[in-house]
Amino acid sequence: MGGLGEVLYYLFHPVQLRSIVQWKVWHEPVYKRDPSKEAPTLRSCFNFLNMTSRSFSAVIQELQPEMLVPIALFYLVLRGLDTIEDDMTIPVKTKEPMLREFDKYLKTDGWTFNGNGPNEKDRELLVHFDDVIAELRKIDKKYYDIIEDITIKMGNGMADYALNAEFQEGVKSLEQYEEYCHYVAGLVGEGLTRIFVQGNTANPALLDRMELSESMGQFLQKTNIIRDVHEDFEDKRRFWPKDVWSKYVDNWEDLFDPKYRTQALQCSSEMVLNALKHADECLFYMAGIKEQSVFNFVAIPQTMAIATLELVFQNPKIFYSHIKITKGDACSLMMKSTQNLRVVCDVFKTYARRIAKKNDPRDPHYLEISVACGKIEQFIETLFPTQDPKKLHAVQQVDGQETQQAQQAAQNDFWEALLLVGSVVLVLLLVSALMLGLAWYMGARFDVIFDKSAASSLRDAAKATVTTTTTLAHEEL
Amino acid sequence: MSEPTTKPSLGRVLVIGGCGFLGHHVVNLLLRDWNCTVSVVDLKCQRNRRPDSDGVQYVEADITDADGLVKVFGRLRPDVVIHTASPPAQGLGAVANDVFKKVNVDGTRAVIAACQQNGVKALVYTSSASVMSNNKDDLVNANEDYPVIRGKLQTEYYSETKAHAEELVLHANRAEGSDLLTAAIRPSGIFGEGDVQLVFHTVKILREGKDKVQVGANENLFDFTYVENVAHAHLLAARALLATHAASTAPLNHEKVDGEAFIITNDSPVYFWDLMRAIWRAAGSEKGTDHVWVMSRDMGILLGFLSEVFFGLLRKPPTFNRQRIVYSTMTRYYDISKAKRRLGYRPLVSLSDGVKRTVKWTLEQEKKTPAKS
Repeated sequence: MGGLGEVLYYLFHPVQLRSIVQWKVWHEPVYKRDPSKEAPTLRSCFNFLNMTSRSFSAVIQELQPEMLVPIALFYLVLRGLDTIEDDMTIPVKTKEPMLREFDKYLKTDGWTFNGNGPNEKDRELLVHFDDVIAELRKIDKKYYDIIEDITIKMGNGMADYALNAEFQEGVKSLEQYEEYCHYVAGLVGEGLTRIFVQGNTANPALLDRMELSESMGQFLQKTNIIRDVHEDFEDKRRFWPKDVWSKYVDNWEDLFDPKYRTQALQCSSEMVLNALKHADECLFYMAGIKEQSVFNFVAIPQTMAIATLELVFQNPKIFYSHIKITKGDACSLMMKSTQNLRVVCDVFKTYARRIAKKNDPRDPHYLEISVACGKIEQFIETLFPTQDPKKLHAVQQVDGQETQQAQQAAQNDFWEALLLVGSVVLVLLLVSALMLGLAWYMGARFDVIFDKSAASSLRDAAKATVTTTTTLAHEEL
Repeated sequence: MSEPTTKPSLGRVLVIGGCGFLGHHVVNLLLRDWNCTVSVVDLKCQRNRRPDSDGVQYVEADITDADGLVKVFGRLRPDVVIHTASPPAQGLGAVANDVFKKVNVDGTRAVIAACQQNGVKALVYTSSASVMSNNKDDLVNANEDYPVIRGKLQTEYYSETKAHAEELVLHANRAEGSDLLTAAIRPSGIFGEGDVQLVFHTVKILREGKDKVQVGANENLFDFTYVENVAHAHLLAARALLATHAASTAPLNHEKVDGEAFIITNDSPVYFWDLMRAIWRAAGSEKGTDHVWVMSRDMGILLGFLSEVFFGLLRKPPTFNRQRIVYSTMTRYYDISKAKRRLGYRPLVSLSDGVKRTVKWTLEQEKKTPAKS
């Protein structure tokens, strides 16, 4: 958007501008990293973080000092892995073993890689990967071990996909889809949870409920896959499972053909429904975070995801353009995600209701989507109940004693009201009677109303007067 | 495919009201999923009757006739009694109130006595989630800790009699002089094949072209429950009671089923008008939501009042009243964790499948009875 366009936009969307200003002015980071005290290699790492991630970089840098570096490095390592996997210019023969051995490189001082294609947006990261490796050496072993473990799992998962010709054509079943999301996002959730718990910033109980961490990753990944469907289509990649879209169209391309818009939208509804099912577990997960900066770090992407789901739901634009939540909405969401779970729950509830409002009865998954939205609301009630049965018991007891009196009072009220209305009517009748009587006394002829002949003679008289007055008027002219 | 070895056993089961809406679904489920012999007591046993080959014994009896009932029990000697008999909740006036009292309270008292005198092990009673509602205030994720609304606070006499009967049943648990164990099921918003209330009326609204109006913002969640799931919950409760009966020690408090009430829903609260629209859609409506005219709740209450006055003057029951507006704008959904934990209850049929099945059945009925004006 050009400068003038932007000015005009905000002129007509003052709420958006307000949110941006609020965020810029009032957002107070819990922690701020201090680059002056950092080693050059670490500063370089944060540079790469800024380069490779727009959304995550800011929140990572506001993490508490103990979590800051391990999480920043975890992110860069995974980004490095991703940069190899994503690059279609690297032949599979080279790619596959590299993905499997990536954990070894983490231990090799000075390892760098400049085999990425010139168009690979994050190629610089691997060109200077020695800086990341140098910093990895310095972090606590308990964090390093987790990063290494997840790297091994994810690298092998990606290597399997690189070899799988069928997968390269596109995801087939729903299970495959979720498995893919597990490797690229669910595992990140697992790694982060383990780092949080090691750093004592999350409830260790989360380790026994790994499906919650998994949901955190799945929710984000699935939302992105739905939103980016057109972009991926243009890049000749397909993550929407064939088992889903083939219910609506015969060919994948048809989904982007305006002729099949209705079917495409119904298909996207099923994808949204599938993603929505993770929302309650995400809220449950966030209830296990004990530290504010970590809470902000996990909550911001989640609220963005539910807002994005609402944006893409029943939205034909996803099939021909790349849509994003507005900057103003993003700022407002960030503001709400950096407070507490209650506010985040309110965000989820608001967007769940908005999704329900956009729901179309003709959609084959209409009722299921309504159920999924209801489920989110119900889950929030279990975290923050609006009603307290103990209070209701107390109120009922008091009420029980008071109803008799209340009913008596209501009865009295009724009679009082009736009396009031009655006296008003009586007064009105009296006044009318008085006025009519007075009029009659002065000579009003009420009998005319009931007497036809008298009435017609009166009308004739009236006509006569009118004609005389008009003739008179003419003469005067 | 019969797999008698894998089906859990329930012994001799008597379903009271087994030809009724819920009751005949209980009978169907017993024959399908359980290993047992089934008998039915109902006022009349013509409708919803299984073919003779299924081996269900049908006995016509009136549960308000206490002595007669004891004799029937003596002949059938059931281990388990599922008491579903109840007059339909919709009905106005003093006559209906008398019937509610007679069947729900006196009838249930007679059933309990007959159970106690004939060595019945387990009695499961169909209560209603409406016993916790005063028909005016919201119930938000309510569980069994919520108070039962009784007496003057309970504005629906039907609910009052259901609550009274539930109290009688639960008091009879481990009562002196008998080893009868009891439990109550409180379903919310039952619908399903054989139902001539909820889905039936909703389809009628569509046929009359009254589907354009939505009262309230449709942000109120409501629990509707498919009948087969309700039947399932009854049988899970019966099994748990039999297990407790056979055990030598009393169960721990947090896993107790006897003497307890359980709320049963589809575990899927939905926005009230969404269910209406899902029913209309299944019944053939091609409309989205663009044509919908949203009427505020207050306006609805006013119109409801006027309609009541108007029909009051005509001395006819109003087609439209304030209570309907209140119901359609009320939040009323429940937390069924207790049933999940203690009964192992999970809905067998999803809400969406339940709606499809029920509407299909309702449309078949429409065809069978061609429009009589």
